[in-house]
Amino acid sequence: MFDDLLHVFVPRTYKLPNGKVVKEKVNKTPYLVILVILMIIGCCRIAKVDFGLLIKRGHFFFDMLSKMFPCNWEYWPLMKKAMLDTIIMSLLGSVVGCLIGLPVSFYISTNFKIPKWITVSSRVFLTLFRTLPIMVFACFFQLLFGMGTFTGTMAITVFTFTICTKMMYEYIETVDMGAYEAIQSTGASRPKCIWTAIWPQVKGYYFSTVLLTLESNVKSASILGYVGAGGIGIVLDSQLSLRKYANLGLVVLVMTVTVVALEFLARYGRRKLSDV
Amino acid sequence: MNERIEDKLKKYPAVWVKFVVMAIFIAIMFLLGKITLQFNEITELGVRLIKAALYGLLTPSWDMITDLSPNGLLYMVIETFAIGFLGTIIGAVLSIPLAFLCSHRTAPRWVNVIFIFLVTVVRSFPTIMIAIMFVKTVGSGPFAGVLTMVIGSTGMITKMTMEAIEDLDNGVVEALDASGCNAFTKIRLGILPQLSAAMLSNILYRLDINVKNASILGLVGAGGIGAALIMGIEYRKWNEVGALLWGIVILVLLIELVSTKIRKSISSKD
Repeated sequence: MFDDLLHVFVPRTYKLPNGKVVKEKVNKTPYLVILVILMIIGCCRIAKVDFGLLIKRGHFFFDMLSKMFPCNWEYWPLMKKAMLDTIIMSLLGSVVGCLIGLPVSFYISTNFKIPKWITVSSRVFLTLFRTLPIMVFACFFQLLFGMGTFTGTMAITVFTFTICTKMMYEYIETVDMGAYEAIQSTGASRPKCIWTAIWPQVKGYYFSTVLLTLESNVKSASILGYVGAGGIGIVLDSQLSLRKYANLGLVVLVMTVTVVALEFLARYGRRKLSDV
Repeated sequence: MNERIEDKLKKYPAVWVKFVVMAIFIAIMFLLGKITLQFNEITELGVRLIKAALYGLLTPSWDMITDLSPNGLLYMVIETFAIGFLGTIIGAVLSIPLAFLCSHRTAPRWVNVIFIFLVTVVRSFPTIMIAIMFVKTVGSGPFAGVLTMVIGSTGMITKMTMEAIEDLDNGVVEALDASGCNAFTKIRLGILPQLSAAMLSNILYRLDINVKNASILGLVGAGGIGAALIMGIEYRKWNEVGALLWGIVILVLLIELVSTKIRKSISSKD
């Protein structure tokens, strides 16, 4: 019993009749499992996880939900503008960000013989920006442009640009370059070559990237109002601090319905695009 | 020969249609922009603030980086990681039964409809609202952040696992069915071995996203690095903001590196 347990971690050695010693291959899985369990315990300590507290006070969560629903429908005319703002902000931001991102992603993929220092330096720059949450962009643009929807749109644009560029250049590097070289050998200019040989290969992926970023941007645009970048977040914050939970319920309901509807539209669009 | 070529050319959709569609699209965009956006002037104060901020980013506060107490950078970065990590792990565990209930292969139709509806609603519920509700429930602190992450990642991982279940090879399950196994044996022997690689890669992908998102939870007091970041920006302590941002960048990049490496090694095994 104990012996079996030990050999989960220490590989067995066998002595063959001809005197040769054979060692079992080391199995890494048990070590990884122990590492993950240790990490979980450590993280529970740091994050102060306490499920007893959750069970004891869990009813507060549902108390808030019951205060929010049924929601106050009369609030709709007042929040209509903010919701529309959020949708337009994310739509504009996603489209403009992806439009700028496309040529840049061609420029920094390695298969077009662009000087290496340009590709590497712009990739480092992009990666640094890509890891920052959208809220940070919003905060910085808020300093520059002041409060308002323009700030939010700029934040979404920059954020979308970094994500779209990363996804596109990784995809462009996997395309088939044969057609490109064939057209280049006929003497066509570089933009012409890209337009006829590369673009048809990447356009499906590109449009599905646009839809994907649009979907995630509408979701994250709700946070932007918190740092003064316009949209539904401002309404959310104000109704919360006024403790008007019925109004808050309507805001949350509208946001949820919008995201679900957009997800369905995006899925429909992607299915259509995959046929093209 | 020429006629055939001309026929083919006529069948090809005209280019001008595309251009008209594009033009209408751009016009709509401009119109939408006109309705919503108020362009604000760039003020001199704004430019000065941005200059100070950029200078702060390049000269991060070393006091904060070397501080090992709970107010220091290292502790906050680890706390952010812990929130993302625990949220992903607990969410993944919760999502396994949910995914099986959502898939039409393992559960009856009416169960699917109920659970898919539930998961979709939970997934689309604004994250910031969930965070606020949990802060009211368990008090502000990283635990509220962990619970928020659990809810968010459960929805997402369930969806991805469900899609993986739909793509499975049905032959194995049918063979087990024919030999008279019950539902649990079918899941254990027919589905889980096929699923584990896809699921692990989904979980790692989600860990990426969760750690990145955990840095904004501090906005509503749900722990992590976000609270200090917002405070720093509000009080214009650019050196500290610089240190925090570098912390986020390095943390996210490290997680991304490790998770991509593991995911690649998983997919190359198949």
